[in-house]
Amino acid sequence: MNNYYIKRTGRAVLTLWVTVTLTFGLIRAIPGGPLEMLRARLVRQGVDPSRIDAIIQSRQQESQPIYVEYYEYMSSLLSGNLGESFYFREPVSDIIIDALPWTVFVMVMATIILFAIAVVWGALIAYKEGSTFDTASSGLSILLSSVPFYVLGILFVVVFSYKFGVFPARYRTSPGVSPELSFLFIQDALYHAALPIASVVITQVGLQTLAMRGNSIQVLGEDFVRVARLRGLSDRRIATRYVGRNAILPMYTGFLTLIGFNLGGSVILEEIFTYTGIGYYMFEALINRDYPLMMGIFLVITTALVLSVYIADLTYGLIDPRVKSGDSNEAY
Amino acid sequence: MAIDQTTDRRVYSADDPIIEIRNAAVTYDEGRSYVLDHVSLELERGEILGVVGESGSGKSMLASSLLDAVPSPGHLTGEITYRPDGEAPINLLELEKADRRSLRWEDISMVFQGAMNSFNPTLDLRTHFEETLRAHDADIKKGLGRAEELLEDLYLEPDRILDSYPHELSGGMQQRALIALSLVLDPDVLVMDEPTAALDLLMQRSILLLLSDLQEKYNLTMVFITHDLPLVAALADRMAIMYAFRLVEIGDTRDIVENAAHPYTRALLNSTPNLDAPLSEMQPIDGQSPAPINMPTGCAYHPRCPLATEECRTEVPDYHEVETDHGSACYHWQASYDEVPLLHENSPGDTTGGVDE
Repeated sequence: MNNYYIKRTGRAVLTLWVTVTLTFGLIRAIPGGPLEMLRARLVRQGVDPSRIDAIIQSRQQESQPIYVEYYEYMSSLLSGNLGESFYFREPVSDIIIDALPWTVFVMVMATIILFAIAVVWGALIAYKEGSTFDTASSGLSILLSSVPFYVLGILFVVVFSYKFGVFPARYRTSPGVSPELSFLFIQDALYHAALPIASVVITQVGLQTLAMRGNSIQVLGEDFVRVARLRGLSDRRIATRYVGRNAILPMYTGFLTLIGFNLGGSVILEEIFTYTGIGYYMFEALINRDYPLMMGIFLVITTALVLSVYIADLTYGLIDPRVKSGDSNEAY
Repeated sequence: MAIDQTTDRRVYSADDPIIEIRNAAVTYDEGRSYVLDHVSLELERGEILGVVGESGSGKSMLASSLLDAVPSPGHLTGEITYRPDGEAPINLLELEKADRRSLRWEDISMVFQGAMNSFNPTLDLRTHFEETLRAHDADIKKGLGRAEELLEDLYLEPDRILDSYPHELSGGMQQRALIALSLVLDPDVLVMDEPTAALDLLMQRSILLLLSDLQEKYNLTMVFITHDLPLVAALADRMAIMYAFRLVEIGDTRDIVENAAHPYTRALLNSTPNLDAPLSEMQPIDGQSPAPINMPTGCAYHPRCPLATEECRTEVPDYHEVETDHGSACYHWQASYDEVPLLHENSPGDTTGGVDE
């Protein structure tokens, strides 16, 4: 049993290390780079070629053997130093510390809401399998899942922000509202996050609903549900402890990994809503070839995904007793 | 020659019936076909009735009917009367939902085939017992005491079992725990649908022994449904043979095993593995049992029966009285003795898989 936790932790650490090393290599394999970008910009600005060379020279660091660079890269990373953003002229870690909580807030909220809806809706459909409600719901689910979230996002901005002006079109809070634990702040933050959350929920809820429907229908056909009915248990208890719980089990890992995936998917979403989370900064970094910032955010997103799978592994035993005793040690 | 043909209930009646089944029929397509085809049966208080039939002969439907628990969307018709000791008889099919819910498990309980799937994998066994007691407004503490006694009767350690999750128990342990769970509310009747199907021979044998002990101790009436004729022959007082959704023969176990009067029963006995007989002497029954949508007219067994005549193809035979309390739904039961000779001497006591008493 302890072995299980040690194994999971080891695997998570290994995954992170591989990611970090891969990014280290990838970034060096990309042609161009920030200095080339700078040279091109200076050339466009009509700066004297000899001055350009001088500027580039001054920025250029002496190249070191690759293992020395790797060592320095790893050690600065471990001390929390992700380098400085070329574009924003700020330490990458500061930008991430400022932006990450907002992205986490939006994506965790969105994922929780969409799973709550999916679990209830999917279970209801399963109980009414074959009815008009089932057909309509399943059709709607597929329709919703086929809409890309950025299309819906743009539609939301156009309709709710510009046409009717009921929701803000940009930023995390209104100007002048400072982050503090007050009702005004929370209200303002929710107000600004409403559209991004809604576009994620609406476009992702369909697939999860269909998954819950399938799971529930399968569990409803299990012998233990039939025996529970004969034993006289109330419909409510059967729906929650028997059907619900067993149908949610396979979705639990999906839920946590979806949070991780959504953090990565925030790039376009936050750009549409000009919501300055890590996705927004990732977009800016891509446009400006700001490699340190890009790498920093990339690492954060990967770490989030690894962490969510890790948490799923560690906590799965709490909801499924069969995992605790090592009957099955794969949660996904 | 229909002199001995009888439609009255003499052959299947009981002196002191605890459950009476009249024309119980189950259909899934509004009566175009039946997966339980108008079966009548009476269950004697305190007896063990073995119901034997091959796969897909309607055994499980008969079992489910006894609790009015036919899986939806099946439709059960007929009359099923439960007669509690010293109380007014209850018509099962006319009960309100709440009454039916309390009758199940409190009066008539059931053990399904496949105990492995009868427990919720995410709940421990104590919770299974507690929630059952709670659902029937029973005294939890007293009920758990009874559960512990039952588990001990079944040679299980109560504390260990109650604190376990289903997956932590072996198949035999789960099966016994399920029997304990089915008896926790002190029912009068226990219906068992293939309770030993997934178990090895030794475990089958020991569960049979335990069942006959339980039956005596708790004064139970049991219906034991199986495809394993020799297995149930060692346990049952009376046996009923099912073929193609109908009962074809009913009688005391000894009469059925030693003096079977239906060609199907006789062929079934000949097809049963016997340790004393060489393998070459085993005789499979040619052909296949019919599907409910494709039932032969008349006697459902006639396409496979060496005795079949025109009468068999057109008219469904009623019971013919072979002896007192022994009926065979066959026009030619007398001829079956010579036409389908039993290959080896059978007796209820020493059949394979049975229990030595």
